[in-house]
Amino acid sequence: MTPSHNHNSNAQTPTGPTSRLVGILAEFSSPDKLVHACEQARHAGIRRMDAYSPFPVHGIDPAIGIRRTRLPFLVLAVGLSGLFLAVGLQYTVNATDSIGPFPGYPFLISGKPLFSLPANIPVTFEVIVLSSAFAALFGSLALNGLPRFANPLHRIPRFKKATNNGFFLMVEAEDPNYNPRQIRNQLEQWGADALEEVHLDLTDHKLPAFVKMLFILMLALCTLPPALIYRARGDSHSLPRLHFNPDMDWQYKSQAQQVAPNIGASEDKPEWLFADQRAMRGEVAGTVIRGRLKDDAAYFTGVASGAEGHAELAEIQQYVSTSVNQDAATAPPEPNWLATFPARFAVTPETIARGKQRFDIYCAVCHGTTGSGDGMVNQRAMALNALQRANWTSAKSLHDHTVVDQPVGRLFDTITNGRGTMGPYKSQISVEDRWAIVLYIKALQDAMTDAVAQDDDGNWVPVRTTAPAPTAPAPTDTEPSAPESPAAAGGDASTPTGATVDQAVPAVANQSSAAGGEAADTASENSGRTN
Amino acid sequence: MATTIDEVYDNTWDDPRKRSPLVTGGLDYGQVTSTVTAIAEVPAPPRAWYILMAISLCLLGMLGILLLHLIMSGVGVWGNNNPTFWGWPIVNFVFWVGIGHAGTLISAILFLFRQNWRTSINRAAEAMTIFAVVCAGLFPGVHIGRVWVAYWLFPIPTEHLAMWPNFRSPLLWDVFAVGTYATVSTLFWYMGMLPDLATFRDRAKTKWKRMIYGILCLGWTGSARAWHRYEMAYTILAALATPLVLSVHTIVSFDFAVSQVPGWHTTIFPPYFVAGAIFSGFAMVITLLVPVRSMFNLQHLITIRHLENMCKIIIATGLMVGFAYTIEFFIAWYSGVKTETQTFVMRAFGPYYWAYWTMFTCNVFIPQLFWFKAIRRSPVAMVIISIFVNIGMWFERFVITVTSLCRDYLPSSWWYFRPTYVDIGMFIGSFGLFMTLFLLFCRFLPVVAMAEVKSILPHDEEDHH
Repeated sequence: MTPSHNHNSNAQTPTGPTSRLVGILAEFSSPDKLVHACEQARHAGIRRMDAYSPFPVHGIDPAIGIRRTRLPFLVLAVGLSGLFLAVGLQYTVNATDSIGPFPGYPFLISGKPLFSLPANIPVTFEVIVLSSAFAALFGSLALNGLPRFANPLHRIPRFKKATNNGFFLMVEAEDPNYNPRQIRNQLEQWGADALEEVHLDLTDHKLPAFVKMLFILMLALCTLPPALIYRARGDSHSLPRLHFNPDMDWQYKSQAQQVAPNIGASEDKPEWLFADQRAMRGEVAGTVIRGRLKDDAAYFTGVASGAEGHAELAEIQQYVSTSVNQDAATAPPEPNWLATFPARFAVTPETIARGKQRFDIYCAVCHGTTGSGDGMVNQRAMALNALQRANWTSAKSLHDHTVVDQPVGRLFDTITNGRGTMGPYKSQISVEDRWAIVLYIKALQDAMTDAVAQDDDGNWVPVRTTAPAPTAPAPTDTEPSAPESPAAAGGDASTPTGATVDQAVPAVANQSSAAGGEAADTASENSGRTN
Repeated sequence: MATTIDEVYDNTWDDPRKRSPLVTGGLDYGQVTSTVTAIAEVPAPPRAWYILMAISLCLLGMLGILLLHLIMSGVGVWGNNNPTFWGWPIVNFVFWVGIGHAGTLISAILFLFRQNWRTSINRAAEAMTIFAVVCAGLFPGVHIGRVWVAYWLFPIPTEHLAMWPNFRSPLLWDVFAVGTYATVSTLFWYMGMLPDLATFRDRAKTKWKRMIYGILCLGWTGSARAWHRYEMAYTILAALATPLVLSVHTIVSFDFAVSQVPGWHTTIFPPYFVAGAIFSGFAMVITLLVPVRSMFNLQHLITIRHLENMCKIIIATGLMVGFAYTIEFFIAWYSGVKTETQTFVMRAFGPYYWAYWTMFTCNVFIPQLFWFKAIRRSPVAMVIISIFVNIGMWFERFVITVTSLCRDYLPSSWWYFRPTYVDIGMFIGSFGLFMTLFLLFCRFLPVVAMAEVKSILPHDEEDHH
């Protein structure tokens, strides 16, 4: 506050650059006189003027020449944006799966459509009203240049009547027709009770001291959070984190893997809620986990069972223990392995290709890409064996007669549950893929029917070993024999191409043809690895 | 201008030759200003203000303690239980939201209809709206149980929660409706107050008051250009608030009507709720303004004519509400739905007959006294009747909410709802919150819209109106 000047009501203009004339303020005693004066001023060619009154004066707009405000269009635009925002929000939130980085949340209620305009009208309406109301208030304030706290008019004591019972007209000095002497006379002539010049104080630009202090304090406080974060980075504490709001995080309940609660009277003589002391209960007999119903024994186990339903499941369970039992003496008899592929598995070129792809991932590392038992892991381990640095049982050649003669169900079970030192793959390979691998193995074996390779001594010997004729089991074959493909037999054994695989399909589908009467040869070096 | 105070002037008499003045006592512009600003300028408010404030603060404190108890213990401290999950909290919510409606009706709808008598009462009525909505918002806010996750009500993107509200649920519509209503009412109220806050600024005697009111009024000068845009914005806000106020109680009624509980699933609910809201709101305006006008000497601004007009609105809306009560019974019988008929018979003659007949008496019979002009002109009588109306309107919400839920489709779960002391204490405490806010408003803010009242005063020389 600088009370040094501009409280003068006479024409004493402050000199020097300390202030600038803004205009002349005339006071009128009634709204009608104000409107009249405005009309006169406008008639006299004055354009840059404004009236000030404690309430909106009727008829002042045409008198001053105020054009209609554009505010309604602004509100309309914002209201329409609110419409699109609300409909878009509701659509993306409730009818789509994701909103940018955030997941959406489609509500399916009573099978009704995810997006239905009638149900979205209330929220849309409210958003339109809300956004339009903000636009109306803040739009009008912005157009009025509010908030504006520094206004030379507030320095004039008389002007305080403008919000009470005074009516003022200010003619701005910037008006081209502004003539200091003439305008005074004119205003008095138009009925002004008092005249006063309005000056803008050019010296008083300083912020009040407390505002500065407040600003500095705010800035200082703003640096606090980053400073604290910087200090806490990589910090560790011996105490757990503060947990301000428990929000049902700790509850009186037992969880999985916990000991059953002690319901006895004391710690010394515990009486467990459940006899086995576990809080977790096992599944009820006969429970089938959702999505794990294995109602096709042949497909899921490779065993041809005569029974059905529960009896079948029980029978299969027994075979599983059979297959993983390594002690031949105590092992129960071999189950009735499936000799042909199960009905649910389609024998097609696509499944062979799938089998090759899976085989190359899971099996080839030990058994080799041709199934000869010469995978990279096997080679390395055998080399270590030779140096006495490992005790590795060589991977079996899949062209060994003991393998070739196995029914497909048995091969499937080997992949599923493992054999000897080979681990089970049931958790890594899906059922469908296991059958595909079996199919591919059969294709490989078929391709190797007449293949020969040089042994360590340089002699050409058949790749496939055959069992002695009397001991060779003849697997039952219910399907009609397909003619054997010569191309499959003569194919490049090391890299079976698509063409050879395609042609091998009929042959492998009828895998019994491979068990025929080739000449008995010596048991391969791999024959020591039996089940 | 005449400055004599004419206490006995009767401006409720309509002389067809001239308009009855809306401001009596021949007040001029300056006297209007000084009458209203005196409330905030006197060094100490009247003794009654202190007494009321003390009572209100006690009730507010009780509300705070009960809220703390509720949040610490859970919503089980209320009487709500299966199947009456909506007990007093929702009754109170609907009651308070309804109260608010009269404020918006006075400030927006009567503005659009050019009812000039609104100018003396609209500011206080709008303040009442906002404070009532504050009380209303409190109850569903704590009724959700876990108040610390109340932000789940709003569509805020969260990665960890991976959930969004259901935009087809009336309860979510309610969040938007009440939220919008509170916001728009506040904007409307604040905008209307800008010129009056400037008056307070210009009359402030101390530096702090000048600064605070100066910041609040945003540097308002009363320029004709500013008034032009201000009036446009005010008209637009009124035009927005008019459908808004109708939508709010409509959507509140959807909370009930969209469900399939017998006694709720009816299409009459939206208009019936809106009429009831205006009915109760005007009753509350009278209950507040009669003491305010005598406490702060505003008899010349808030005249008997203003109060009489409100009484007329009460009798009109009271008849609408009475019509709705009757037609509900007819529809229940006419629908031929057994559960529906049974529910309504049980409402009037079942275990809650006392609530039903309290409601009916207070809302339908007692307001008929307003047919007598003598009663319409007696401030004491109208306050008593208005209090009865508000009691009746609270019971209306109780009857709707509790009787329907206590007797739903499953007879084995029928029971008799009883509130606990927390229910009762929180409802009474909400009046403490409401009254505290209202008394603070009376003391520190312009109670009457001075600028608007001045604009309807007759001019000196020629009367354009």
